[in-house]
Amino acid sequence: MANEVDCRGMNCPAPVLQVRNVLESGTPVLVSVLVDNDAARQNVSRLLEHNNYQVKSELCGDDFRVIGTLKEGVTAKESLPPITSNKLQNMGRKKIMVLITSSRMGHGDDGLGDMLMFNFLKTLKEMLPELWRIAFVNSGVNFTADGSEAIPLLQELEGAGVQISACGACLAFFHILDKIEVGVVTNMLEIINQMKEADTVITL
Amino acid sequence: MLNEPIRLTQTVKGGGCAAKIAPGILDKALCGLDLPVDPDLLVGLERADDAGVYKISDDLALVQTLDFFPPMVDDPFSFGKIATCNALSDIYAMGGVPKTAMNIVAFPAKSMDISVLRTILEGGLSVLKEAGVVLVGGHTVEDNELKYGLSVTGFINPSKILTKRNLHPGDSLILTKPLGTGIITTAIKAGLAGEEVVERVISAMSTLNRDAAEVMADFTAHACTDITGFGFLGHLAEMVVDSGCGAKIKSSAIPHYLEALNLADMGLIPAAAYSNREFRGKFVEFDHSITRKMQDLLFDPQTSGGLLIAVEHNQAESMLEALKRRGIECAAIVGEVVLNPVDMIIVE
Repeated sequence: MANEVDCRGMNCPAPVLQVRNVLESGTPVLVSVLVDNDAARQNVSRLLEHNNYQVKSELCGDDFRVIGTLKEGVTAKESLPPITSNKLQNMGRKKIMVLITSSRMGHGDDGLGDMLMFNFLKTLKEMLPELWRIAFVNSGVNFTADGSEAIPLLQELEGAGVQISACGACLAFFHILDKIEVGVVTNMLEIINQMKEADTVITL
Repeated sequence: MLNEPIRLTQTVKGGGCAAKIAPGILDKALCGLDLPVDPDLLVGLERADDAGVYKISDDLALVQTLDFFPPMVDDPFSFGKIATCNALSDIYAMGGVPKTAMNIVAFPAKSMDISVLRTILEGGLSVLKEAGVVLVGGHTVEDNELKYGLSVTGFINPSKILTKRNLHPGDSLILTKPLGTGIITTAIKAGLAGEEVVERVISAMSTLNRDAAEVMADFTAHACTDITGFGFLGHLAEMVVDSGCGAKIKSSAIPHYLEALNLADMGLIPAAAYSNREFRGKFVEFDHSITRKMQDLLFDPQTSGGLLIAVEHNQAESMLEALKRRGIECAAIVGEVVLNPVDMIIVE
């Protein structure tokens, strides 16, 4: 059974929000969206593609119908970034800052440490909505730079409103200042100010 | 619900420079108009530029502009500041110095508390003071949707006017503010923008282009414009076509908000970005490596965007250094003007 969403008469970003709500309320295999302007058609298509839908659109009188079919093997729920902005999330909530000082977790075996840290970043979204800031220092900054497998994970967190930052001096030390792919460049003063503002700081 | 702060973006259809009427449609209204002629009108409508210039004497001319729009941020004080920075920007982009300003206000007095207007005007005044501009008056009308802006008059030396149409092949192109404000303000309207990026975008949009313009005056700049509603590529296309040149842009050098790319992927793109592409797309050739979201960003309508400066190639590095010394840290050399292909922007 297809989900029908009528977004005629709506201007951007309203159609995207409507469709987003539909995706969040279940895992529709088929979504059909009616829009009456080309910008809405393109924006809704982008949202659906971003959430692993195969998208086609057709003229429907003076309107457009955008049809999304969920790709094999994915559920919409999994592929959606966690909901809403940090502004809304953090209103009155606890603010947790995570400081990552290394590319691996703990001492012992390096390979195991790498794997554990990656797994930590992957699971970190469970800390939402209290998760507020992630700051990377020392070899931790490598997670934010070109070639890191953690980039999509961090982008997802960023999309959920978490601020990601990487120490500029550390990026420069590893010669990857121009390769940062996610988050913003920060400095010690900003990190200290964030620590002051946070309710909890977790250091790894 | 007590003392819930007002969200201005929820009261309007579309905000900021993205609310500009689409360029293709506007041309239909303007083309062929019978305009009065005056030899002292140095820059007028027939060669549309950032601002009009009218000569008073050999070393003094008036430079005039006007800009207003619906809110693109929620906070009234910030909106006042941004609208004012945006209005003053056209004067700086021409190489002029703003002197006087008048407020233009459309206000829904029946549905919005008048204290909101006062806060907007206070925000505007704070920027005028910073810029050394006096407010000489204003005009307010009742309207269903809030709009605010200013008409600004400045002084300029007629021999130092920087228009859009004087690109020289070989010039380097410098951009002084990051791109992505249209996409991020769309996310603000949707309630999907992170607090931290909102702060950064508001701070950039409330930053005057004065410092950048002052640095520019110390170098041999050939042409300049400010990036607003038509987006980076829309404004660059105007420069390129008017100058009979072409341009090569290095997309990896473009300063931008990283968040804007993620938000573009989610479809939070203002409608004006699509009309900009429709109208100017024919002047642009993207390398196959340029992602769709990067293309979106390059057409994204900016509010109170940075200056795009064409400077003599051998001065580009020192101008960039001077800009950074003035605190304009995200300024970057983003490309160069070429002789061939004409009327074409190649994005690599």
